[in-house]
Amino acid sequence: MAQTVLIVDDSRTMRDMVALTLADAGFQVVQAGDGDEAVGKLASGSKPDLVVTDLNMPGMDGISLIREIRKMPTLKFTPILMLTTESSDDKKAEGRAAGATGWIVKPFNPEQFLKVLKKVLPA
Amino acid sequence: MSDEFSQFNAAFFEESAEHMTAIESGLLELEQRPADLDLLNTIFRSAHSIKGVAGMLGFTAIAQFTHKMETLLDQMRNGRITANPPLTDLLLKATDCLKTLIDVAQSGSAADDMLVQQLGAQLEASAAGSPPNAGGAEPPLAPASAPAPASPTHRFTIRWTPPSFLFQRGLDPQQIFKELGGLGAVTDVRMNTDCLPDLVGMDPEQCYLAWTLSLETGRPVQDIESVFEFVREGSVLDIVEHAGTGHEARGDGSGNRPDNPTNSLSPIAPSLSHGPAPLACDDEATEPKRLGEILVEDGIIAPEALARALAQQKRVGEILIEQQAATPQQVAQALEKQRQGEATAHAKKGDTASIRVDTAKIDKLINLVGELVITQSMLSDLGSRFTMSQLPTLLERMTDLEHNTRELQERVMGIRMLQIGTVFSRFSRLVRDLAGKNGKKMQLVISGEETELDKTVIESIGDPLTHLIRNSADHGLESPVDRLAAGKPEQGTIRLNAFHEGGNICITVADDGWGLNRDKILAKAVKQGLIQEGEQLPDDQTWALIFQPGFSTADKVTDVSGRGVGMDVVKRNIEALGGTVSIKTALGKGTTFTLKLPLTLAIIEGMTVRVGKELYIVPLVSIVESIQPKAAALQTIAGKAELMSIRGACHSVLRLHQIFNIQPEYTDMTKGILVILETEGERVAVMVDELVGQQQVVIKSLDKNFRKVEGVAGATILGDGTVGLILDVRGLLELARQGDTVAA
Repeated sequence: MAQTVLIVDDSRTMRDMVALTLADAGFQVVQAGDGDEAVGKLASGSKPDLVVTDLNMPGMDGISLIREIRKMPTLKFTPILMLTTESSDDKKAEGRAAGATGWIVKPFNPEQFLKVLKKVLPA
Repeated sequence: MSDEFSQFNAAFFEESAEHMTAIESGLLELEQRPADLDLLNTIFRSAHSIKGVAGMLGFTAIAQFTHKMETLLDQMRNGRITANPPLTDLLLKATDCLKTLIDVAQSGSAADDMLVQQLGAQLEASAAGSPPNAGGAEPPLAPASAPAPASPTHRFTIRWTPPSFLFQRGLDPQQIFKELGGLGAVTDVRMNTDCLPDLVGMDPEQCYLAWTLSLETGRPVQDIESVFEFVREGSVLDIVEHAGTGHEARGDGSGNRPDNPTNSLSPIAPSLSHGPAPLACDDEATEPKRLGEILVEDGIIAPEALARALAQQKRVGEILIEQQAATPQQVAQALEKQRQGEATAHAKKGDTASIRVDTAKIDKLINLVGELVITQSMLSDLGSRFTMSQLPTLLERMTDLEHNTRELQERVMGIRMLQIGTVFSRFSRLVRDLAGKNGKKMQLVISGEETELDKTVIESIGDPLTHLIRNSADHGLESPVDRLAAGKPEQGTIRLNAFHEGGNICITVADDGWGLNRDKILAKAVKQGLIQEGEQLPDDQTWALIFQPGFSTADKVTDVSGRGVGMDVVKRNIEALGGTVSIKTALGKGTTFTLKLPLTLAIIEGMTVRVGKELYIVPLVSIVESIQPKAAALQTIAGKAELMSIRGACHSVLRLHQIFNIQPEYTDMTKGILVILETEGERVAVMVDELVGQQQVVIKSLDKNFRKVEGVAGATILGDGTVGLILDVRGLLELARQGDTVAA
């Protein structure tokens, strides 16, 4: 069965780009425009194999979303990648402390993106 | 990097336009509430989003420029720099510049590199007015994993003690081993269970294990390190290389590998390194001064002398003609080319052709289509075994179908409806800029932003509204001194409002300024020969004079307005959209311009009229009344031009059958019907045989399919499937006028 990835980003264009990359690689994709929408989708039973989230979003931001996800019993150990242009260590460290598995720095190309995905996706 | 995603360019441009609006209105609001962190975050996020996607799509210039804006905004939201007017000016200018950059990316025209660099430098300088912790530019990623050059195999021993929270981050040691296996051959894996507690004391969510691995690979040690990239924090990692030349130990027990915090895009200017933003207020201050300015400033020459000298300065074209290097024609041609180039560059700033629709609207549409399908299947079911006894059911189903269809139509039209706020939002900036230019204090109060109207109309009202607001700001409002003298608050107010009224949308631009001065307008009109000296005009007609081309009562021509260009254009543009402009004014209290526009241009409410066997549609808004005249009301002038008088007013009569050369049922006007039509305050009576009924019609362009026909605005498909022509009232009036001149 195809693995499912939840992509959370407030930029629709960015979401679509990631979604295309993932769909081309054979993944199922679920999209959310901010943390609240993502939590809603997860709470209503969606159980992705991987979450990719932007950090800067209106409403619930990426860091809070990561914390929320880690509180969910079924998603405690699900890999979460931060999708970010933030190069400062603060942001990354904050994300990691919140429970993020890894990060992908924008800009990226599909190849780079999938390579990082492979690093964290359970087989 | 751009190729894979180039299909997203259009989406990016559209999204950027939205972000740009958000940034601009955010910055303007920020002036009122400089400490509003939410607002700053919103602005920051918009800039951030543009930067992120621009980078992905390979628009480097945009990404770099936005990065500089973002750095400054970041300092602001961290409280290191407080917003102030010069800073807002700078950021607004930067937004304009960013707009240009995006236009450039979209159209491929040239950007003003100087301005980009200059603003970029100013942004950096402002951001640098505080600690340098602004996130540096992420260096572009190296091309993904170029295959490492084949090199002799080395043997590595890797000792790894992961942090206890490994699992809680969604990390899995197996992944690491698998990835290491991808680098070469893992010859040995030993698990160290020394730290494993008793079963009682064990937390199954913690990692207590450590590993020692042997790896044989031709890849460099950096590749091995990168496998541990995500687990490095909190890990104890030792990578030991067993090569022929001895041991090279690498690793860091602490797990704190400081990323290099270089900040190449934001150098810290030492002289600017403390205190907030010593900013130049505008471009001139940072541009080198011109020679003349320096001479004047140093008192060597008088400003008048400079002005005289400048007046003698010639343009390059004139000089070339004098030197006979080019003929006047050649120069004129070149100038024309230049103008065309500018025009096309301008035209390329294309309007987005796509439209964004709320998913809720689409969902409703899908629901409706579902209902339509059900109704249709019920009908065909009924049709297959229909008996007369089922007639009531049939009629009921038909009513359902009509209901569905009308609702579907409304919903589909709704998709083209946009909130007018998208147009209004740009005017806050305009008024701010105007206030700066003409030294008046003014505020713009916007209401009714949520009013929806057709996308085409929205796109076309921007310019007329800009003219009206400029006009109000420049002529409508008084200077602060005059306002105080008149007992008004120092700050003038321009109100912009939109609301629905019947099938129309009304937009009002109201100022609380001078009000129109009747005497001044009349005097000016006499001077321009528009009216006779001593001619008495009712108020409406007096106010309407300001829509005459070239009319301006401004005492002096300013940068903002007063050239008399504009108000006539406003009127023309609005009328081209099928709308009207009206004026209400009270001396000393202010002036209100009201624009009345149709909600949509694609569908009109029409009256079907019959002439002989032909059916025509008259736009309902143009119909004043329909009458069957008595013979006494009709007159003929010079045996040709026919007039009809009603309640003391005379209208020329147009026989539609004569214009379109068809055989009517009646030639006697007292038997037919006269439909009195009005547009732009003029009236004409059009003779038809019969009024058939009222219906909504979809306008199809005739020009595209046939050619322009005088008196016909377009065509539509009638209920029986035939084509009906829609009458163009404006054109009919023209025809009536020509008829008059022929008769005279």
